[in-house]
Amino acid sequence: MDPILRRSSFFYVTALITYMGLMGRFMLTRDWPAFEVIPLFLPVWLISGMAASEHDERYAFLRMLPVPDRTVARTKFILVLSFAAVAWALMTGVALVRMGDGLAGSPTLVYLTLVCVSAILIGACYQIGIWRYGLSIMFPVIGVSVAAGLALAIIHVANLKYADEWPALSRLGVVEWLGGAPWISSAVLIALALLAFRALLHLGVRVKAASEAHL
Amino acid sequence: MDTVLEATDLTKHYEDFSLRGVSLAIRAGSISGIFGPNAAGKSTLLRVLAGQAPAHQGSVQVFGSAYADAEQDLKNRIGYVPQEPVFYPDKTVQWLARFAAPYFARWDGAGFYKLLDEFKVNPLKKVKHLSGGQKTLLSIAMALSHGAELLILDEPTAGLDVVHRRALLDRLRAFVAGGDRTVLAASHITDGLDEIAEEIWFLDDGRVVAHEDKDDLLARWKWVHFKDGALPKAIEEGLVRVKRLPFGSSGLTGDFLNLRGALAGPLASGDVRLDNATLEDVLLSFIKGA
Repeated sequence: MDPILRRSSFFYVTALITYMGLMGRFMLTRDWPAFEVIPLFLPVWLISGMAASEHDERYAFLRMLPVPDRTVARTKFILVLSFAAVAWALMTGVALVRMGDGLAGSPTLVYLTLVCVSAILIGACYQIGIWRYGLSIMFPVIGVSVAAGLALAIIHVANLKYADEWPALSRLGVVEWLGGAPWISSAVLIALALLAFRALLHLGVRVKAASEAHL
Repeated sequence: MDTVLEATDLTKHYEDFSLRGVSLAIRAGSISGIFGPNAAGKSTLLRVLAGQAPAHQGSVQVFGSAYADAEQDLKNRIGYVPQEPVFYPDKTVQWLARFAAPYFARWDGAGFYKLLDEFKVNPLKKVKHLSGGQKTLLSIAMALSHGAELLILDEPTAGLDVVHRRALLDRLRAFVAGGDRTVLAASHITDGLDEIAEEIWFLDDGRVVAHEDKDDLLARWKWVHFKDGALPKAIEEGLVRVKRLPFGSSGLTGDFLNLRGALAGPLASGDVRLDNATLEDVLLSFIKGA
């Protein structure tokens, strides 16, 4: 295994295990709001894993090795993509299992896809931000983002429970509509997200090669 | 002789510093020294030359290729030692070697551990527990262990004790002895690299202020000690760093080869005496405000 991938993957695998272990299990044991709320924590976990990995990274050392910037950038992006892909596969699997109980439906599958494709794009943007501005500047931004993400998720949970009119994201009209053909909708969403992700990767390579803030 | 590294009109801007239009060419088989005061731009220049940082303008060709076209190949052929070691601090030296080895086409693991042994760096120690000098030696060991043909060293002797400094200088001499490997090092004058450098580049305020073969440079720069009135006025006015002393004056000339004839008389009379200048003397005459 590529040493850069091996070193960084530790943080992403740890983040994925803690996410699925601490949060994902609620999707197996709780009622439908778990499918609404738990996926919202996914970007937070992804960004946290990324921050831990980047905190320990030594890009100046990597630049001394015969490893082109595009290889390093691709490796980091693969980790983001893999994290979201595995989380999507696991959550979709759980949703399919719980469809039999009536706790998840076709729109749930689309909703999970939407959250996961959003996560990879958010993750890619943060990664580019770290290369462009350095971790010392991005760390507070990541901290505020994580705190805001957690706060919004908690507010959403509370309102779902106590406010009758509060809208569930997984039951919005557009999600319901896309849920009419969940696999086709998911495939299209994933394809579009991958195109955007690829464009961000190209941007990331250029930003990383030109910037010294992350060294 | 072949040129292994050629930089043309390099410009790089930082908030408080700019590298301005630096051009240089390094011959194969030579030891070249880039000397200059603090903040002259030595480290910035070396980072650009070693492909660690992009220039805003200008070009760098190493072994005839640009980094944009052949980064992987060039970094296999270059050993770069930065001023500040940049390793993973929580990892052991052994871990670093295992991490880096797969990326190099000609990694010599046995040679690396032999160098560590020679440098007295414990491979089982974490990087953060190494002294500053040991980290530098680790950088040097890595640079010497992948078959590099060009070493780019940024103040490699800084922080080394006298024994390791001498061993490193000997190793660098041996490195270029075959004539096909090259060393480019930036340094302060007084740390020993001035002894082994054959070609000298003086950098000040982001510019190359002088470049010459060391022997030629030292042949034409001399201290002239003279009794008042003993020197022709034109020569005296051409001296730099003139010091008035109780029994005469001293000044530095960079034009000794042309002045030899004019000085013959005063030298014979004993009113004028010459001393060799050091690189430090010469550098100080180039630095603004020194």
